[in-house]
Amino acid sequence: MATAAASEEIDDDVFETQEEVNSKLKVSGKAVQEKSNTPSPTGYRGYQPPAEVIRLCQTDVIEDNEQIVHKTILLGDSGVGKTSLLVKFDTGKFQSGNFSATVGIGFTNKVVSVDQTRVKLQIWDTAGQERFRSVTHAYYRDAHALLLLYDVTNKTSFDNIRAWLGEIREYAQDDVVIMLLGNKADCGSNRAVRREEGERLAREYNVTFMETSAKSGQNVELAFLAIARELKYRQTGQRDPNRFNVQDYVREQTNKTQAQCPNCNT
Amino acid sequence: MSSTVEVEPGAAPESVLVTADSCENFEHMNSSLEEIKNLIEIKQAAEESTIETVVSENLEETGNFSECDDDEDDYVQNSEWTSRKKQVFVLSMAGKPIYSRYGNEDKLAWLFGVMQTLVSFVQSTNDDCIKSIHAGDTTFVFLVKKPLILVTVSKTHESENQLISQLNYVFNQITSTLTLTRLNKIYEQRQNYDLRRQLTGAERLIDHLLDFTEKEPSFLLGAVQCLPLASSVRNTISSAITGACNKIKNLVFAILLANNKLITLVRMKKYCLHPADLHLIFNLVQASESLKNSENWTPLCLPRFDSSGFLYCHVSYLSEDCQACLLLLTVERDVFYVLSQAKQAIVEKLRRTNCLEAINNSLTTNEETCLTAGFTELRHYLYKCKSTAQFYQPSLAPPYTLEKERLLELYKRAHQHLHCSSRPLKLVFEKSSKEVVLAWDTKGFELYVVFEPLIDTTGAINLVGKLLNWIKNREDKLFHLNAPTF
Repeated sequence: MATAAASEEIDDDVFETQEEVNSKLKVSGKAVQEKSNTPSPTGYRGYQPPAEVIRLCQTDVIEDNEQIVHKTILLGDSGVGKTSLLVKFDTGKFQSGNFSATVGIGFTNKVVSVDQTRVKLQIWDTAGQERFRSVTHAYYRDAHALLLLYDVTNKTSFDNIRAWLGEIREYAQDDVVIMLLGNKADCGSNRAVRREEGERLAREYNVTFMETSAKSGQNVELAFLAIARELKYRQTGQRDPNRFNVQDYVREQTNKTQAQCPNCNT
Repeated sequence: MSSTVEVEPGAAPESVLVTADSCENFEHMNSSLEEIKNLIEIKQAAEESTIETVVSENLEETGNFSECDDDEDDYVQNSEWTSRKKQVFVLSMAGKPIYSRYGNEDKLAWLFGVMQTLVSFVQSTNDDCIKSIHAGDTTFVFLVKKPLILVTVSKTHESENQLISQLNYVFNQITSTLTLTRLNKIYEQRQNYDLRRQLTGAERLIDHLLDFTEKEPSFLLGAVQCLPLASSVRNTISSAITGACNKIKNLVFAILLANNKLITLVRMKKYCLHPADLHLIFNLVQASESLKNSENWTPLCLPRFDSSGFLYCHVSYLSEDCQACLLLLTVERDVFYVLSQAKQAIVEKLRRTNCLEAINNSLTTNEETCLTAGFTELRHYLYKCKSTAQFYQPSLAPPYTLEKERLLELYKRAHQHLHCSSRPLKLVFEKSSKEVVLAWDTKGFELYVVFEPLIDTTGAINLVGKLLNWIKNREDKLFHLNAPTF
């Protein structure tokens, strides 16, 4: 099963077209220029830049990477475990038993560390219910990444994924990072959606896929970190985009951890 | 009855809340949203006019509806289900199940059919409207509010008016999640629509609301209780909120609450919040554990304020170390970030001025019981100031710490005496072997007092005078007397 996943060839050019990378480069280039416009303290002896410039520089240094905020939205039917996944990632705890539907949109900031730099994720946890759609749509546009969840014990939630992807195509940016997650993978015999079905769907839409469990913690960190990594590389744009590919990365990482969760091999 | 108090305790020149009679039945609904957005057109939905008649009394209870339950009889046989003290059902005019307090609606489809038939039968034969059926100790109350029918079957001895008021709350909760406009539209388009699709997740709110109406005197009184705070602290909090929100356009209400009590309410000039709407907000906050996880942004319709559209609500707890919940309500759909910043500013200000600490202190200190306040023959009381729609109650003391439900039943009974539509009383003094209950309705306030069983009328009257003075002396602390605006 694991080897099968690894040997699958997936065309991976969707995430970064050269054009996008260039535009990102331009943006970061502009920022560099602005910085070089600040008066140089080495100009002559005893020169002190104005206080506000010093302050600007200082804050710039401190908040360097945190300034770039990456917006991530959790989507999926009601009850698939979006909030649980987020809470597990945020606090390490699993809230068992007390299901309480999200009201509207919940908003959490989380700073994660990617290659020794801090990346700030702004995570929007949405209510799955239909009646909240109009509010959540308004926030799709700003999103850099979308985590789309279904519940592996609930076939309907999986069947609705196509509709969700349709909505995403309609409301989100074209270059948004999408990750499909089959949650509640700890379910054992209650499973209603096989892992292969999830993989097939992901391949069809060319999105990254993995199974997660907010309860056991399986792949929870990985899902968010992969997003953070991808977004960071896109943002900085300095690296060769071919060096990091979120799908390859995820495949690599899941293969590593595969042995630990025999349950999820159906 | 003599009292040295000139103005009733808790009265204020201006009220943050719309003052309301606790029994009024929500027929009148405002439309404020459009006004705020400066649009001219104000739509007023012409409400149906129901003729008030009790159609039939003492209808014989038909066994267990045994003639119509051949296949789907799971619940009728289920003693746990049949022994429930109060059942509540919501269905569409077409008889489609929407909500059942206990049990699965689908399995009860036949029962919803019976209810729909009763309503439409009375409607078609006499062009009348069924109100209630009384059978032994069971009361069936029907509330037809197009496009929904709400029914309760109660053995709780609550009055018909009190039950209707609870059904109205349920209706308002549904309106609050969907808006009345949308609700009407849905059924205009498809009469047999299954509304449960739109209400997923909201059943929980209705469940909680019903428990709430049974446990909290605030619903009975149509009033809210305030968290006791020195008036200077409350004013600082209000001004921290006004300071941070002053410049924000179209912010309608800012509400700070903790532990089911109001800390402060700042409002847009000219608009007031109705206690019934505030109760829905309290219910939302109490029922949604998930609000604690993060900052939240949600649409919310306040049916008494404007049932036609949504307000958008930024909901968050002040901080890890202060579990008071702040709600900022606006008519703008996309100002989350603006309000998020305002919230940060408010929290910082409150922290600097030690208000967070003051709130925590008040939350952790037990409120006084009658005994600690020096009233030895008094067990418990509810005092409602009518002009501000606020009430105060002391902490529970024995024997009621174990009999909270019975205490509330006493109050409900007394409340019914004062508000009975056919013969309302001004003063009730009722003696039993367990306690003495006094209920007093004046122009400015309502007072319900429970005494030790051996007290006589003179003693009771003296104590009531003292009690009113005691409350008057603490009104600054116990009530929200200013009505701050942005």
